[in-house]
Amino acid sequence: MTLPKHVYKTLEDIVGSRNISDDPAVLDSYRYSLAHTAIHLGPFYDTFTPRGAAVLLPGSTEEVQAIVKLCNKHKIKFKASSTFWSAQGYPSEENTIQLDMRRMDRILEIDEKNMFAVIEPGVIGATLQAEAMKVGLNTHIPGSGCSCSILASATSYFGSGPSNLYGGCYYENLLGIEWVMPTGDIFKIGSLGSDCGWFCGEGPGPSMKGIARGLLGSKGAMGVFTKCAIKLFAWPGPKTLPVEGIIPAYRVALPENFRAYTVAFPSWKAWADAAHLIWDTGLGYLAHRQFNMFGRDLKFAMVKILTDPTKTLGDLVELLDDPEVQRITEDSMRDFQIVLVGMTPRDIAWQEKAFDEILARTGGWKVEAMNAPEIHDWVLLYLIRLGHKNLNLVFGGSYDGCFGLLGAVDYGTTHVEETAMFKKEWEKRGAVVQAGGDCTMGPIGGQGGGGTGLWENFTCFDPHDKESVVGTLEFFDAATILGLERGWGVGMEKWNSQNRGPDGKTTPKVERDRIHIGAPQPSVFRYQGKVREAFNPNDLGDAYYETLED
Amino acid sequence: MALEDFAAEMDRCSQCSYCKWIPFDQMKSWRFAKNCPSIAYHNFNSYSARGRYAVGRSLTKGQSGYSDTVRDVVYTCLTCGSCDVSCKVCRYNLEPLEMVRELKFRLVEDGQKLDEHQALVDSLNKESNTMGSPRSERGKWADDLVLPRLSSEKVEVLFHAGCRFSYDKNLQETAKAAVSLLQKAGVNIGIMGEHEMCCGGRIYSMGYRDEFTRLAKANITTWAKAGVKTVVTSCSDGYHAFKRLYPKLGSQVNVFHTVEYLDRLIQEGKLKYRSEIPVTVTYHDPCHLGRQGEPYITWEGVEKKIKGQIIVYEPKKPRYNGAWGIYDPPRNVLRSIPGVELVEMERIREYSWCCGAGGGVREAYPEFSLWTASERIAEAMATGASALVTACPWCKSNFMDAIETLGDKMKVYDIVDLVQKAI
Repeated sequence: MTLPKHVYKTLEDIVGSRNISDDPAVLDSYRYSLAHTAIHLGPFYDTFTPRGAAVLLPGSTEEVQAIVKLCNKHKIKFKASSTFWSAQGYPSEENTIQLDMRRMDRILEIDEKNMFAVIEPGVIGATLQAEAMKVGLNTHIPGSGCSCSILASATSYFGSGPSNLYGGCYYENLLGIEWVMPTGDIFKIGSLGSDCGWFCGEGPGPSMKGIARGLLGSKGAMGVFTKCAIKLFAWPGPKTLPVEGIIPAYRVALPENFRAYTVAFPSWKAWADAAHLIWDTGLGYLAHRQFNMFGRDLKFAMVKILTDPTKTLGDLVELLDDPEVQRITEDSMRDFQIVLVGMTPRDIAWQEKAFDEILARTGGWKVEAMNAPEIHDWVLLYLIRLGHKNLNLVFGGSYDGCFGLLGAVDYGTTHVEETAMFKKEWEKRGAVVQAGGDCTMGPIGGQGGGGTGLWENFTCFDPHDKESVVGTLEFFDAATILGLERGWGVGMEKWNSQNRGPDGKTTPKVERDRIHIGAPQPSVFRYQGKVREAFNPNDLGDAYYETLED
Repeated sequence: MALEDFAAEMDRCSQCSYCKWIPFDQMKSWRFAKNCPSIAYHNFNSYSARGRYAVGRSLTKGQSGYSDTVRDVVYTCLTCGSCDVSCKVCRYNLEPLEMVRELKFRLVEDGQKLDEHQALVDSLNKESNTMGSPRSERGKWADDLVLPRLSSEKVEVLFHAGCRFSYDKNLQETAKAAVSLLQKAGVNIGIMGEHEMCCGGRIYSMGYRDEFTRLAKANITTWAKAGVKTVVTSCSDGYHAFKRLYPKLGSQVNVFHTVEYLDRLIQEGKLKYRSEIPVTVTYHDPCHLGRQGEPYITWEGVEKKIKGQIIVYEPKKPRYNGAWGIYDPPRNVLRSIPGVELVEMERIREYSWCCGAGGGVREAYPEFSLWTASERIAEAMATGASALVTACPWCKSNFMDAIETLGDKMKVYDIVDLVQKAI
């Protein structure tokens, strides 16, 4: 669709001629390939999200409000995105205006005393962390990595990541919010709504966080969040990370109160017991099963490549043939990474002692090869900054998570081996990377202080290879059937299929309704339907805000 | 290569936007976190490497056509290579810089040129330089030096002045100083004088592949006839062209930037300082000396897959990601000068911010070029240094222009200027 000239002109008047485009080539740089999903979308070969009607780069809340009001007047759908990590940030229907929020990228305030930051949508994890560290604070970074918008993760998506354990996930960390509602009205949530400042998301003032976010975040489908405050937490380290090493093997040596360990366990039960004990004990700064994303068989060889600037993927086969690499790979089959950070010397000493006791009780061990200084310091930097998350796509250019076992940690550990072996059989067919079946990764603790686990089994493939893409899709179909048979429900591989069809556009409503009715808690979607009816009367978002009618 | 040869990369680019930032591990502040001037200034995705992959795909698949906007998207790339470095923190099978160059080649081949580039192209075709000056005056900068001309004498080490040093009177003292220092250290060096031709590096980065090839082949032939074994240059553009591009066309000469030579001579004790220069400086890594200054390694091979879908190359493919550029020699030289204190900017070495002069941007988009330079000057000033030092006449010139426009007081030096002062 081409916007009517008078509408385009009005939009141009709002943002300025430099900040609007409907050039087809520019619009095509705002389309996402559904064949490499980078988050939970069925792969469809050579299919892209729909081309938008125009792209706008608003520079202020006032501009956003004016755009949204104009969209309401002309019944034009709009979709805001900040850092475009996944397909969910892009229009899923034709004739949608794409708002690219990158010009609104200021850190407006870091309140050192009250430990929060006020940010705009374009602020990413890395820049907020860098600024927070200067005043002895840190920010939680979502699992998608530090390239992603903090505001978007907090207001509009799940927001989980390795530092959930100590820093809490973003739903928990979200404080005051400035929300340009789908109608164009500005609503200030939490303490901000009663002119008390940004410090609280629930009051004194309107407690509307749940309404604005929905279950997993509103994913750009319910207006535009233009500012928010986010909790920060303690950083007892240097003001700037003293990074050394040759690219890409950057590493950081931090003081003695920082320790990064890779630990492994004799059984999955022992693994889960350790997670429970970590939560009960209250130790750890962040914890994640991280490098298993490369696969049970490949992970240590990949760590060797990534920590040596002279090596490439071309060295993989030779490394895999190395008996020492094989021994360490076997040694770390059921592993995870944990970073202990002491606020005082006594604190780190206690955490070390307590963690050793946890390992003793569960039969776990430290994978010593991962403690070699050049690897330890690389792991530490990797986990603290999460600046290498695009390694998800290192093998062939695409990945997607499958199964997605979300719940108590024992739930994941109970089924992880079965899913791994099922995937391993499919790997033999050649469509996806042969990595040992178990490419399961996720945070040790899905919320502040620990608790749930989320197991995502990475499936890597080549988006340029039709056989790879089709084979991956077949595997995902099979994974879904297995999940339904076993009572795990539809896995991550299908989560977004609820919203997008194979043509990249929104799945027909009847199909979405069928999926939502079959969900464990369909009432959630009915409530969200009521919310959308009340707050988005012209239905100018997309189906990513999932709803169900009575 | 042709643009279509990048079809696989266009599909395999994961659209992660890492290409818009310096490597995240190296971020020290919000203010100096961005790497690509083009996306930082223009903001639309299409002005980043990931966006240019998308634009390339759109064009090759016929989903969009040429327009003024598309020309801007392509020609505002400085080909500084910062996207390439950041991409390759995680990816081993993408070459975004090569793809963007190919996109420029395609536009030029299809006649989608910029009028603003034409004067430079004409000057190269007619006078073999980028400066619009007569070829006969190319060697004049060295008229007051006692220096062999290789057209009449034979020496093994050639000093290639390059277009800007040859014709820009504001910079010629640097070229003279470079030659004088090398001679003082006992290096038997000569120049081509009026027989010197442009290296072709700048026109290559603007998309004119054929013109580059013509110049390169002519230079290679001239050097061979003159018996040149080693080429030394103070121009980073020239260094990159000779070091990385010429070997593909058969050049076998050794290539050094002046800073490498000076570093060696100072370490060997062949250059001695006599005076102190009490100044705090910061060093700007030129893109073509730093991240693009890695040595060329011959490779011919094919893509293959292991473990089902892992993309590798047979034989193993050399990896250009900025790891092995020329970073330490200029810093060694600066630190060796008595009185000079070197303080670093936030974006250095492989993740350095571009000066804004490359890729034909200075000629076609002066406002954007000036903004890019001013961003670097702001970063330099934030260090507390009173001078910005570099090792490329194009960088120096762009910084000087920006400082004059901004009315700033920061001084700009070529590293050779400081060495000469101290000696």
